[in-house]
Amino acid sequence: MAVAKEVETKDKHIKNLANIVGGAQSILYKKEDLLAYDCDGFTIHRHLPKAVVFPKNTQEVANVVKYCHENNLPFLARGAGTGLSGGAIPLNGEVIISLVRMKRLLSVDLENRRAVVEPGFVNIKLTNSISDKGYYYAPDPSSQYCCTIGGNVAENAGGAHCLKYGVTTNHILGLEVVLPNGEIIEIGKNGILDPPGYDLLGLLTGSEGTLGIVTKITVRILKNPEAKQTVLAYFDKVLDASQAVSDIISAGIVPAALEMMDKIAIEGVEAAAFPVGHPKDIEALLLIEVDGISAGIDEQIHQILQVCKSRNVREVKVAQDEQERARWWANRKTGFGAMGAISPDYLVQDGVIPRSKLPEVLSRINQISEKYGLRIANIFHAGDGNLHPLVLFDARKPGETEKALEAGSACLQVCADVGGSITGEHGVGIEKREEMLFIFNDEEIIAQTDIRDVFNPKNLLNAGKLFPTPGRCVEVKKGMKEVITSSKHKIL
Amino acid sequence: MLIATELLTELMSILPEQQIRASGSENHPLGNDGRVTVYPKSEEEIATVLKYANDNGKTISIVGGGTKRGFGGLIESADILLSLADYTGIVEHTVGDMTLTVKSGTPFKELQEYLSKYHQKISLDPAWPEYATIGGIIAANESGPKRLGYGSARDAVIGIRVVYPNGTVIRTGGRVVKNVAGYDMNKLFIGSMGTLGVISEVTLKLRPLPKYESLILLSFLEENLEEIRSFVIKFLDSMMEPTSLELLSPSLSERVMGQNLYTLAISFEDVESSVHYQEDFVKNIQPAKTKMTIFQQTEAQSFWEQFYRIGPNGTKYVVSEEIEAALKIGVVNLDVLQVIKESQILQDSYNVAVAAHGGLGHGLCQVYLKGANEDIVSAINQLRDFVTRLGGYVIVKHLPLSLRQKVDVWGEKPSYFFLLEGIKSKIDPNRVLNHKRFVGGI
Repeated sequence: MAVAKEVETKDKHIKNLANIVGGAQSILYKKEDLLAYDCDGFTIHRHLPKAVVFPKNTQEVANVVKYCHENNLPFLARGAGTGLSGGAIPLNGEVIISLVRMKRLLSVDLENRRAVVEPGFVNIKLTNSISDKGYYYAPDPSSQYCCTIGGNVAENAGGAHCLKYGVTTNHILGLEVVLPNGEIIEIGKNGILDPPGYDLLGLLTGSEGTLGIVTKITVRILKNPEAKQTVLAYFDKVLDASQAVSDIISAGIVPAALEMMDKIAIEGVEAAAFPVGHPKDIEALLLIEVDGISAGIDEQIHQILQVCKSRNVREVKVAQDEQERARWWANRKTGFGAMGAISPDYLVQDGVIPRSKLPEVLSRINQISEKYGLRIANIFHAGDGNLHPLVLFDARKPGETEKALEAGSACLQVCADVGGSITGEHGVGIEKREEMLFIFNDEEIIAQTDIRDVFNPKNLLNAGKLFPTPGRCVEVKKGMKEVITSSKHKIL
Repeated sequence: MLIATELLTELMSILPEQQIRASGSENHPLGNDGRVTVYPKSEEEIATVLKYANDNGKTISIVGGGTKRGFGGLIESADILLSLADYTGIVEHTVGDMTLTVKSGTPFKELQEYLSKYHQKISLDPAWPEYATIGGIIAANESGPKRLGYGSARDAVIGIRVVYPNGTVIRTGGRVVKNVAGYDMNKLFIGSMGTLGVISEVTLKLRPLPKYESLILLSFLEENLEEIRSFVIKFLDSMMEPTSLELLSPSLSERVMGQNLYTLAISFEDVESSVHYQEDFVKNIQPAKTKMTIFQQTEAQSFWEQFYRIGPNGTKYVVSEEIEAALKIGVVNLDVLQVIKESQILQDSYNVAVAAHGGLGHGLCQVYLKGANEDIVSAINQLRDFVTRLGGYVIVKHLPLSLRQKVDVWGEKPSYFFLLEGIKSKIDPNRVLNHKRFVGGI
């Protein structure tokens, strides 16, 4: 066994934490090392952590958490750091518990269709590990090549194929969790459905790392569909494309994916690493995938082609082979990053709207773009109404970052106005704390912070995320009331 | 009686008289009753009743259609029985977005019939759909054999309006099919047995009606579970997409199709060509010594309609020597085979009639028992021991109150019970709603 190196610091917490995780090789605490951890995929807010620790197992996570709990040190968990809403940013100088060393696939049970992974296990690796047997893991966020399943659980990550197969929460069967006081619990033992009690699995999934730290995950795995067909359709008018989306759904087809990109988004992906030769003068394209039993696919594809034609499609084609399909998907899945090819900076937004409101919403986003003088590209999971406006800006120009943030927020306001949501898959994090008030009132925010208090009463775990500051004001008031009441009790 | 009179008077000051009814002197054998029953017609009225109870130390029991009256609960009668029978109807159906918002007292079947005109449906298949209300189905997290293909309430519900015990109305989720804003509070109320709030409205995502459906009943002539198991493993490892893969015990199979044999009910829903293709696949791997019956379309539908009526129904309770019980059992998927077999064995060892079925693709079983008091209690205990050894759980879904006090409805508390208790205490500190109806006396 390698001898644990000593940390070179006088900070007793760093020393103690290093001891818990097995020495200097499992902790970062020097400023130059911490810089890489001052933000995640949301780069506008930054803050240095106190330290970053790399536990190797559940017990070490629990020991770190217990130490932080006892010493009132704020802490948070981090996976690959691909989150887009700032959920892993150490706003309060947290001790970051990085789970990247807990990256094992613990077991696969094909007969009962489930697998157990550690939180640092990368999403795509699960599918890669079981694909030779004909199985896969369904949630497929665009960052699946590097994001971790633990992070997916925290954010309830989605992906292009969640239209038919659901988001992360629909695929989680069990969790081992370290609670904010260091206690280890197991929910959904053996991955058995509907364990008696409130649905804590559902509550923890998507809680953005504020209720506990997940250290083991039992997921559902699925058998590959027998057949898969992908269609690409080019439209001269956005309205036609969005009506085609409605028609496909109304025809009773549940596509595995139904994606839309608008003109600026197309300009971006064509200028980036995976161009496929989309015409530059179309207003929208649809990428539609149908999967399932081979005998039923042709009929559905035929229907989809008919719908596109009836909605004045300029050109529509079916992928001829897996290679072509993969090229179309690479073009789409790298869509966010592709904006870097046409703009120095871009801000990704993540609103949800009722599908039928798409034309209205797009025209209002156009107005926002004009108002702020910033181009906005739209990448859209059209099937489930999850819209990603990408606000293009140049951070070097003074004031433009702020303008981009405002424009992004204005887009979310539009989503909320038409009865939608401020986030479909990226989470609230730091980014959309204030926008929570677009859709929830103070009482509804308090109902949520009440739940947080049950799990995380000291609020040391990932504090300052998810909930708006006005909500916090009310909380503070409420907290004060409690203090007053309890002191009254003491006096009495 | 005096208390009831006082309660009546007070309730009359907050609700119209015709929406209040004093209960008779006889207590309901299933319990979960109230001295006074109220029938709110609006969310405001629900909130008013809750606030009244919360402020005045009264307790409330909640009822929808009453099918689950024998499900949990250790109390004969709360002060108030809040019935949602008059809080019904569709609030909003956005056909193009395939979402539906509905008041919680609406019977499930009514909803499905309405939606079928639009070729849409809620993808759940609960028992007794003409009586069960959408609110009750969600609150009890009820699902049926087609859960394999459909998922459950937690997959279908996208938004809830819930009245908290203090009268506050909280919206959780939203009206869009994908949403991760804040905690996924919907999940908290699904399956919470009405112990946290009164669900007043539910928003669901809909699915298109299948264009075609069929049902294969595959009966095994010999009682050889290994053969069933190897067939099931082979079938599950294929790329077929059954919406149900339910194993019926011989006694249940006898009842629904007149064959005293272990039978698999395999259903397919898709476009017609795909359904027939999958039937052919099953025919090709049909094991020796089995009998196969295939029902198409309406025949398949009628089979299921009958199937959803095999368990006890709380609205139809008759006092008799023979006690009925229903259990929900959760195990690892393929352990369903063992549970169904064990249930069949119980029939002989405890002198109880047992009918059982379970989904080999999802691991949930339903076991129905009929017999004398003591036999029922022993049989439940025996089965629970067996299932616990498999690492699973047994929940008693239906039993008369007197026996619920003898058998632990929910089984052992989970190790994280303090979290459940903590949630209950935050939301319902005065224990107003469905007191003692849930796990660990919550």
